[in-house]
Amino acid sequence: MKITQDIKDSTIIMTLDGELDASSSVILDEELSAPEIMKYSKILVDCRNLNYISSAGLGVFISHLQRFEDAQIKLIFFNMQDKVRNVFEILGLDLLMTIVTNYEEAITIADE
Amino acid sequence: MLTETKFLLPFINKNTTQTQKQSLQKLSTVFRFMLYKTNAKSLLVTSAIVSWVLLLGSVLLMAESARQSSGTMLMALPYINNLLIIIFILSVFVFQRIHANNLKGIDFSSYLWNLFSKAAVAAYLSIALYFAYKLATDSMGVQSTLLLHLVYQINFGLLVYFLAKAFYIWRQLLLYHKNRFLQVAWDWFELLLFSTLTLTLLNFNYTNYIFLPLFVLLGLYVLFLCTNLKWVAYLSFSKKSRSLVLLGAILVSCYIFTKFFQEFADTAELVIDYSDVGFLLLAMGFVGLYTLAAFLVSLFSLPTSSVFEQKSEDLLNFQRLSQSIQQGQSEAQVFDLLFESTIKASDASAGWLEQIRGNNTHISHLLNINNEQIERIRHLLMAYNIQHIDYINNNLDRNSGFRDLALPWRSLIILPIKSKKHVFGTLYLLRDIEQGFDRETTNVLRTFTSQTILTIENLRLVAESLQNERYKEELKIATQVQESLVPKTFPSDSWFEISTHSKAAKEVGGDFYDFLQLSESRIAIIIGDVSGKGISAAFHMAQMKGIFHGLMQQDMPPSEFMKQANSALSRCLEKTSFITSSLYIIDYRMKGFMFARAGHCHTLYYNAMMDDVFYFQTDGLGLGIVRDKNYNNHVREMYYDYNPNDVMVVYTDGIVEARNPDETEEYGEDRLKYMLEQTYHLEAEDIKCAIINDLEDFTGPDNLYDDQTLLVIKFKPTQPNI
Repeated sequence: MKITQDIKDSTIIMTLDGELDASSSVILDEELSAPEIMKYSKILVDCRNLNYISSAGLGVFISHLQRFEDAQIKLIFFNMQDKVRNVFEILGLDLLMTIVTNYEEAITIADE
Repeated sequence: MLTETKFLLPFINKNTTQTQKQSLQKLSTVFRFMLYKTNAKSLLVTSAIVSWVLLLGSVLLMAESARQSSGTMLMALPYINNLLIIIFILSVFVFQRIHANNLKGIDFSSYLWNLFSKAAVAAYLSIALYFAYKLATDSMGVQSTLLLHLVYQINFGLLVYFLAKAFYIWRQLLLYHKNRFLQVAWDWFELLLFSTLTLTLLNFNYTNYIFLPLFVLLGLYVLFLCTNLKWVAYLSFSKKSRSLVLLGAILVSCYIFTKFFQEFADTAELVIDYSDVGFLLLAMGFVGLYTLAAFLVSLFSLPTSSVFEQKSEDLLNFQRLSQSIQQGQSEAQVFDLLFESTIKASDASAGWLEQIRGNNTHISHLLNINNEQIERIRHLLMAYNIQHIDYINNNLDRNSGFRDLALPWRSLIILPIKSKKHVFGTLYLLRDIEQGFDRETTNVLRTFTSQTILTIENLRLVAESLQNERYKEELKIATQVQESLVPKTFPSDSWFEISTHSKAAKEVGGDFYDFLQLSESRIAIIIGDVSGKGISAAFHMAQMKGIFHGLMQQDMPPSEFMKQANSALSRCLEKTSFITSSLYIIDYRMKGFMFARAGHCHTLYYNAMMDDVFYFQTDGLGLGIVRDKNYNNHVREMYYDYNPNDVMVVYTDGIVEARNPDETEEYGEDRLKYMLEQTYHLEAEDIKCAIINDLEDFTGPDNLYDDQTLLVIKFKPTQPNI
């Protein structure tokens, strides 16, 4: 699992590369828990190369969901593979989280 | 074989089996060999005594006849005499050869003592005899050639006995730590030596120009053999000193015999001159030279023997350290051994050993130093910041800090006992001389400390593995407890069949299913999956079971159950954990079921009326994701009328997310659906088996990453009349 961050003004783009399983979700949790993340108003998660997400990985996003919402930080997923999106949908997360098809759409929604 | 059988005849009857016969034969061989050895020994003793007595008789006879025939030498039977000499020599030598036992242990000084007490004393006997003879002839004026011959013959016997005994004791020591080459060299030497007896037999004079070079060559051979003195190195200082005395005494014996026979050589009165027997000369040469060599080597290695002793003691201590695990020793014993061995190895005059346990440091071993001195040294080291590192100071006086302490020591070495992970302690050694810890000593000390570290780490590993064993046992109990939480049998009814499968990826898992009979015609079935795996998932799974039984006692619709379960779980579930679940309430009086899905996998269904296989696509959020009233908006309820022969497949994500061996593909909903399309006409049990077999074909053996649970419910056509 490789996580890269790309910062543009008040937007942070996180690119997830690989499999988000029990061990790599710890790294993701650390990144999302970092205090400086609260400085941004938009977090865009690029899931193009995210091949698999385990329940532990989902748990990390879920645990931060409320916190981001309270701080009015927008969390937007884009470029998600179908099988990963299916996992989000079965769990009902597609109704809670913003999942869009591509970067442009993500930017548009983020700027609304 | 025939004779063998005859020999064993009294022991053999018809019933004796082949193996018994064989073992009897073996026994008889051993027995006969022992008999042979004893027989051979007594035969050799007899032949030696007989030949010697005959020789004496013959010599006395000849001397008497020579005396009577006034001066004219009667060379009557020289060949018979020679033959008797050879028989006597061979008998004694071969007897000693058989008699010599194999080397036992490395107590070489006892061999030397053996050699001295049993053989070398012969020389002193012979000299005593000689002086008695001298006394008799000189002071009493007895002039008897017979007496002379008697003394000469006895001394000859003693000489041969001494040579034979010494020869074979030296052989054993010479061949200590032998190699093949040395063994062959020795065998040839023995052969050549005995072959010189033929010269005597044929009455050749060895001083002849033809044989002299051969004798010189043999002498050189002897010199070469005398260089094999490995056993001397194994003598300790005190044993070497004792050996020197014994070797000196043996050398004196050699000298006495040589002198005696030299004295009598070419005496006209003598009938036989044994100095003419080349064999004896060579054997004496070997024994004398080897004794001399051993004496000199012992003498000159005396100053270095303490080094060798120290090394062998170090080696022994290394062995003891490395074997302390097998011997079940404790850490304290290992530290004892370390302290003792390092003090000895470095010849330290003082020292102490600190052990570190957790954050506590305590001094476990002390030698010639008091706590106050230790405290002062430690303070100084702390000031220099060199407490737990390798440190050698071979000249403490040059350092002002140490000089101020006014310690009676001049050298200090600090050896930390630590591995990459742990610090076990520190060893401090002091010596009262400058340059007390040279490179050689330091290396030995470091080897000791690293061996100690290894031993202690291994001891801890052994203890840890015992602990792990205990954990495993407890985990086994956890597995059993969890298994008891999942129902094994469902109520068997005529209106539906149910078949279940569940497999945990680890000892305990987070999948679960359960049922509760709500009323006579209604049954609630729940399936769930806790996020994560292992122990924490297992705890939450047990919690969920409790919530299910607690809430469903009140008989509520599935959506209401999900809302209340979410509210209950919100208070106890960890932040990153959530649970997915589906609840079905089947009412067979109404021929329908009501269900709600909370983020759980879609239910696979076969409708017999429409002959169609599909997934129920309903919305529903997992439990514990939204932990407030908002959750109520995220759960849907659905009612469905079932037909006879309908099949419902309920499962966890471990089934559809199972991967093939190269981890590129997931089993997937489509393949599961396809499987049901092929098997819906079968019994519930057979449908389940078909799906599980297909799944195992897909994943390969032992390729389980997530817990797997599968329930197959088939509604039967025959409805009971209620």
